[in-house]
Amino acid sequence: MKVVTGVVGNDIHVVANRLMELSLNARGYEVFNLGVNTHLEEFFDAVVETGANILLISSLNGEAEGWSREVKALKSKYKNLDDLIMMIGGNLAVGRGDAEEIERKYKNYGFDLVCHQIDLNTGLDWLEEFIEKRKTQ
Amino acid sequence: MSQDNEKLLIDVGSTYFKLSTPDSIEQHFRDFNKDILDDLLQKSGSTIERFNKDDVHICSSANGGLSTLIIGLTNSFSLKYATNIAFNSGINIIDTLLYQNIAEYSVPGDLIDVVIIVGGIDSHSNIFGQDLYNYLEQLNYSNIVFVGSEKDANSVAANIDNLAVLPNVIDNRLHIVEEHLKEYLTNLYQQDIMGKEDIKNLYQITSNQIFSTPYVVNQALPHIDASYSVVNPFILLDIGGATTDIHYSKDLVDDNIVTENEFDRLVFKKLGVYKSKQSLIYAAQNNEFTYELLTHLKVTENIFDEQSDKATKVLMQLAIFLVLCKISHYRKAYINLKLLAINSIIITGGITKVLSVEEIENIIAFFYRKILTSDHKPVTILDSNYDIWTLGAKEIKHVD
Repeated sequence: MKVVTGVVGNDIHVVANRLMELSLNARGYEVFNLGVNTHLEEFFDAVVETGANILLISSLNGEAEGWSREVKALKSKYKNLDDLIMMIGGNLAVGRGDAEEIERKYKNYGFDLVCHQIDLNTGLDWLEEFIEKRKTQ
Repeated sequence: MSQDNEKLLIDVGSTYFKLSTPDSIEQHFRDFNKDILDDLLQKSGSTIERFNKDDVHICSSANGGLSTLIIGLTNSFSLKYATNIAFNSGINIIDTLLYQNIAEYSVPGDLIDVVIIVGGIDSHSNIFGQDLYNYLEQLNYSNIVFVGSEKDANSVAANIDNLAVLPNVIDNRLHIVEEHLKEYLTNLYQQDIMGKEDIKNLYQITSNQIFSTPYVVNQALPHIDASYSVVNPFILLDIGGATTDIHYSKDLVDDNIVTENEFDRLVFKKLGVYKSKQSLIYAAQNNEFTYELLTHLKVTENIFDEQSDKATKVLMQLAIFLVLCKISHYRKAYINLKLLAINSIIITGGITKVLSVEEIENIIAFFYRKILTSDHKPVTILDSNYDIWTLGAKEIKHVD
């Protein structure tokens, strides 16, 4: 499966981004890594150009909060992204926050999977479970 | 007859001719009722007669360039990459169309010189379909080229007559691949120049290939410090009669386009001060800062209706302001430049014969204050003797 990934907004956490790419590769995904400082429109455009099945956005400094509010509106402008699996992970809040509340908020923004302060491998296990579940639906 | 080291360089613009010899520069306003060669010979016949055909080098932007329609998948990749390649191939007139919305676009009535279909990395397939073919059936075009996904190339070619298929402009890491499309468009542009009756006649006075002017200017940029104390990064504004060309250092763009070029080119096709005067005024009237700028210049909107030297000056000052707006974050364009990082602004073209450095600096300072709320002051350099074009023409000569 194809995954588009990168770090959203004005966030330059390049090491985490690279680790994410390595882990995805190790699990057999074809990865298109847009790197750090990536705008939301570029993520969706990369999905369209590559025919990716999964969009995995990462954020480590709470930057995602502001950008994610635009996700639904922007995604609705694209005509063929209904089946795209939307995942976000990293540190998704500024300061402390209630994990359940954060997950609920991001799902409301349009993400299928939300991994706030979750270990990378655990998050990718969740992704595989999600894919399996979707296959059976 | 000319000595070995003597060359005559001629630029045929939409408004002026320029002739450069080792000792002088001549410039003449064109007579549009005459064939270019007749006009040139009448005004500069004695200069031209001094040179062998081998020693005459001509470039031209007078034919307006090829009109291009790019049909692509996304703004961030396929449309952007193809647009970048087209501008750098010397093409001025570029319209883009997002494939997913193709059914909603009206079909242009004019003949399109070249249609470019682009989108998808090579491992992606079944991207283009019947809605593309339906649209193209209604479109009037001379050439069509496919530079999208390799997997889709055969099915697209089976549905479109005379389709040229070239390698994808997007590689599997979503990076730009320029060379194939650039070569195709440059050759097409060259054929177009040579095919124009007016330009064809110019081969009576030269035995060298006639190049497009933007190509010549681009060749000069890496060597620009031979003529001026330019501090990188810089932009070069060539405000002409029909269009405005901007050549800029790649350092000024935070972008996903990674190439080996040091400089890129961008064109605003309807921002000129003679042929495109009306559209320039229209653009000015739609800019909320124009009236403040007119007040700053101590004139009123009535200046647009005047035919005077003062009116021409104001129009040219407006052109500089509008171009800077278009490449700033104030107006979301195909590309935005980091204007606060610019160290030098070089102005070339007919505008240098009308405005002084002070008058240009006045506008640039107004732009930085009003739009970017900054006192940043890049150095303004006026290429009033066409040194940049001469330098570029000499570079081409070396390549020859």
